[in-house]
This record gives sequence, structure tokens and C-alpha cells, in this order.
Amino acid sequence: MSEIIETEKNPLIRIEHISKVYEMGVEKVYAIRDISINIYKNEYLAIMGPSGSGKSTLMNILGCLDTPTSGLYHFTGLDVSDMDDNELAGIRNKEIGFVFQTFNLLPRASSLKNVELPLVYGGVSSSLRKEKAMATLTDVGLGDRAHHKPNELSGGQRQRVAIARALVTNPSIILADEPTGNLDTKTGEDLMILFNSLWQKGNTIIIVTHEEFIARHAHRIIRLRDGLIESEEVNPNPTYSLMKN
Amino acid sequence: MALTALYANKLRSFLASLGVVIGISFVILMGWALDGLDHAMADAFKALGADMLYVDKWDWAGGRRWDLIRQRKPITIEQGKELVERLQTPELAYMYSNAHRANFKCKDKAFTGISVNGTGWQHSQTPMGSILEGRHFSIFEAQQSARVAVIGYNVNAKIFPEGGAIGTLLKINGIDFTIIGVAKKQGTAFFDFLDNEVHIPFGAFIKIFGRERSVGISVKAGSEENMERVKSEIRGLMRSIRNLKPNQEDDFSINELKAFDEILNEMRKYIWGAGIGMTILSFIVGIIGIMNIMFVSVTERTKEIGIRKAIGARKSSIWYQFIIESSVLCIAGSIFSLILCSIIVYLAATFLPDYWPKADLLSPYLPYQLLFIASIVSIFVGIIAGLVPAIRAANLDPVDALRYE
Repeated sequence: MSEIIETEKNPLIRIEHISKVYEMGVEKVYAIRDISINIYKNEYLAIMGPSGSGKSTLMNILGCLDTPTSGLYHFTGLDVSDMDDNELAGIRNKEIGFVFQTFNLLPRASSLKNVELPLVYGGVSSSLRKEKAMATLTDVGLGDRAHHKPNELSGGQRQRVAIARALVTNPSIILADEPTGNLDTKTGEDLMILFNSLWQKGNTIIIVTHEEFIARHAHRIIRLRDGLIESEEVNPNPTYSLMKN
Repeated sequence: MALTALYANKLRSFLASLGVVIGISFVILMGWALDGLDHAMADAFKALGADMLYVDKWDWAGGRRWDLIRQRKPITIEQGKELVERLQTPELAYMYSNAHRANFKCKDKAFTGISVNGTGWQHSQTPMGSILEGRHFSIFEAQQSARVAVIGYNVNAKIFPEGGAIGTLLKINGIDFTIIGVAKKQGTAFFDFLDNEVHIPFGAFIKIFGRERSVGISVKAGSEENMERVKSEIRGLMRSIRNLKPNQEDDFSINELKAFDEILNEMRKYIWGAGIGMTILSFIVGIIGIMNIMFVSVTERTKEIGIRKAIGARKSSIWYQFIIESSVLCIAGSIFSLILCSIIVYLAATFLPDYWPKADLLSPYLPYQLLFIASIVSIFVGIIAGLVPAIRAANLDPVDALRYE
């Protein structure tokens, strides 16, 4: 391929005709089928769909946790579909920040240690690690909770620690899977405010959700059904109403 | 990070490493016992003189050839005398003979377990003839077959616990001897029978026990370098004295302390043989124990492994984490064993000799080489035990691992 692409329009993520097939005995089950999406820098995207729609599979592939059975996946110009486990681990470490529904913090480690962990695997020196982790925790408003363990924090605080962990390596995308699913409405809204401000600072955010009001915060909404893209809409009116300043 | 998980399951970790603890304890205690034997042997060499040779009908390391040796003709006094006169190279040579069953009476009490050694005045010039108290018999007393005796250390301790042996009369087979000296303690664990002897002039010995006994000839080579030369001279002379034809085997033995080395090596083999079997067994149990607990640990922490992988841990990072965990488990086990064994060894060396005197060869401290061996073995065991669980952890699929509850 020697096509010349204009830099400005070069997508951060380019997915072309990807499918994921699971073989159940003789039967082939398509978790996702022939999906193509481009995601650009500093986009705020929501992926929606009921359970079984394939949104988890798509998220795992977008997050380089899994590879597609067929199709192309280019991430910042690199062909991810061909990478081996260790190269994928490197991409996940440097380019992707995960936020999970169940927070997925290490229970025995303090907030600071949890936030430091990606830097450990990135080979960052101990002193720089502490400094960066502390700064990121402060950014999400938890500077004073650095030495608390997850079980000493509220759900909202835990998710903020998880967000700090996702942000600390300064990744290309933040990939959030039902980030408000385990939080009450008020705390969930607070968290969405945090996501909005992250977007405003130039981050690219992909939120996977099945809740309409969460998806309304995004600027583009992709709906999946039965492994296919059902619709793709630009949200002309993203929810900022809670952003007072 | 690996340590936090271990610390959180202290009791489980401890139980899992018990097999290793037992295995390493075996190795350490075996090494310690063998070290004790070596020291005892070295002490014996020093005490008895490494340059001594004993020409005798009997072979000290005889072992399986016992029957053949028994059929040898005794070495007669004449043959012994001839050898002593004709020998040129050694520093000293003199005849001796032993009687193991003799009637002892002293202070109107009878004793058994004491053997009589008829020997030359030259005995005083060998390390074995060192005197603690009194004196050795002189060349004149030897020539006159005087009825004087030098008693061994244990004999003195038994009969004269409060001292005063010198000048006392001792009856050997009904004949009076005057005690003129007490020998220094020779005994290590191996040679304590030497302290149960009574030394009398060779001539006096023959008068009591007769001329028919086979005699031996003690030869002091003078230096260890001289040993081979002296040995070949003895061999040549003895073969001619005993009228052996060129094709006949030697019908005498030239014994030296090194013979005990062979016996010691034999003992060493038995100790290792017994020990190594149990050690291997307990290491297998230890490895299985740790491997099992590592599998449990991997399964329990599947979610954690998924999280670590999601945020960028490579296979190798996960692998290391578990290998380090199992190695730490084993190293902790070996440190525990070292402490345990140090205590056992100290107590054994301190209190055991009170009940079993031979145990005084045991050192109260562990030889430092064992520390290296124990730590190397434990790291090795840790890696072996952790290998398969660590590989399983490293190969977990991140998506499946994250979904695990």
C-alpha cells in the first residue's frame, strides 16, 4: 500500500472490515462481523448496544486485548492485527488507558501503587514513577488519598484512582467500559464531568455503555446490534450542561 | 509485589514450604555430621601421627578378605626382631603385641574392658606415647622386662577418679605391676579404645602372655614424605623374612592411619545413601507442595493477572512475578531450616556428649559452606516448583483473565 494520506485526516484508529469468529463445535459464531470505524484524535465516542451485540468484543479488539479473526486494525499507523502478545502488551501499556466497570484495582496496593503500576511495566524509574503517579492522582482530585487502599475508598474514588491509572502513561486513547455501571447516579455524573474535562484537555475518549444518558455525553454514537453496526450518529448536543465552568 | 501476596497468606505459605524445610534440614544435618567425622579424623591423624606404620598379620581395612587374613601365619618374635634390626630407613621401629582379654585387679577390684599393650621404650617417642602424668618406662626397664605400667587416660579416670595412680600396684593376670605413668588422652570418637589400654614393656608382656602370639612392628617413618620408601623397604624385608616366593601374595599387612580413611569413606557413603534418599523424597514432596500452592495462587489471582496484562504487563513480567514468589517461599523455607538446624546442632553438641561420649566430635556450629549449598538448593527448588505455574500464569488470555471472578 503506497497511498498518500493527508496527515490532518489520518485517523488515530482505522478499523476495516474486522470480524471476530468463535467456533462452537462445528458452528461458527460471529461476535462482530465486518465492522469498519475510523476514530480521530481528540474524539469523544460512545459505543452502544445491548448485551450480546458484540460491543465487549469490539472494545477488547480496540483495546488490543484481543485480535480480530479477519480485517485490518491500524493504531497510530501501526498494524496491530499482526502483532504478537508482547507487542500488544507494549501498545496497551503506552497507548491505551483502560477504565473498567468494576474498577479492577489491585486490592492490596495503595492508590499510589496502583497508579504507578503501568509505569512499572513501562520501565520508568522509581522516583519518576512516584512523581508522575502523585501528580495524576492530584489531577483527579485524590492527592490526599494516595496511601489509602481500595477498600478504604468510596466507589467514585476508586474509579478516579482507576482513571488516574489509565491517564498516567499519557495514552493515545482512554477506553472506558461501563465506567459508571457500579456507581450511583450522582457519582456517575461527577465521573462524566471528569471525562468531559479530560476530553477538553485533548484526550481521545471511547466509552462503551448501554445507557443512553451516558452515551449522550459523547460527540459521536455508534450503535451495535448482533455484531453489526446498526447506526452511527453525530450527537449535535452533547451533555455539558453540568459543566458550569 | 510478589512478597505482598506471600505475606497475606502467611500460614499457607509456611505449610507449603514445610517440605522444603525438611529437605534442606536433612542436607544441612547430614553435612554437619559428615563435617564432624572429618574433623574427628583430622584430630586422630594429628594425635596418632600420620607417619606411623604398623606391620601386622591383621589388616585394619581388611573387610571382605577377613577369611584369608585369618589364615595367615602369625608373625613370630624372631621375625619381628629381624625386621627391626634390618630396617634402615625409618626413624624408629619396635615390636608390640596386644592382649584383649586379661585379668585386671587394682585396689582389690577387678576390671574388664582394658587391653594390655606390650611395647618398646620407643613408644614414648611417638605421639601415642605422650604422658600426662608420671613417666614412660625407660630403655633399661624395657631391657629388663621390668614390671612397670603406663595406664591409658580412661583407665586412670575409671580406677583413680580422684588421682593418685602413680606408684599404685596393678595386677595383670595375677602379676604385680607398678603404675609409673598416665598417658594423655588419645581418643577421638574413633580411637577411644586407645585410652583403654595399659602399656607394659614388651619383654614383660611375653612373660605373661607367652611367645605364641603374633607380634606387630610399629614403625615411625619420620616424615610423611618418607612413608613410601619405608613401606617398600618393609615389604622387601618382610617378604624375605617370611620366605615368600615371587608369585605369592604378601602374608602380612603394612597398616597406616590412612586405612581409617577408607573406613570413614565407607561410613560417609552410608550416611549419604540413607540421607540422600530421604532428602530427594522430601524435596519431591517440597516441590509438589510449593507447585500446588503456586497453582492455587495463580488461579486465585487470575483477575489480578488480567488487570496486570491489560495495563501492559508482558508475559515475562508475570512469569518473573510468580517465579520470584516461589523462590522467596523456598528461600524463606531454607532460612527457617538454617535457624532450626542451628538450634538443633547447638543443643546436640552441647548436651548429647553427656549421654553419649562419642558425640563430642560434633561441632556446635554449622559449617559455612552449608549456607551456600542450602541457599542454592532452595533457589533451584523454587524455580523448578514455580516454573509450570508461572508459565500458566504468563500464558493466560487477558480477556478471559479479566472476566474471571
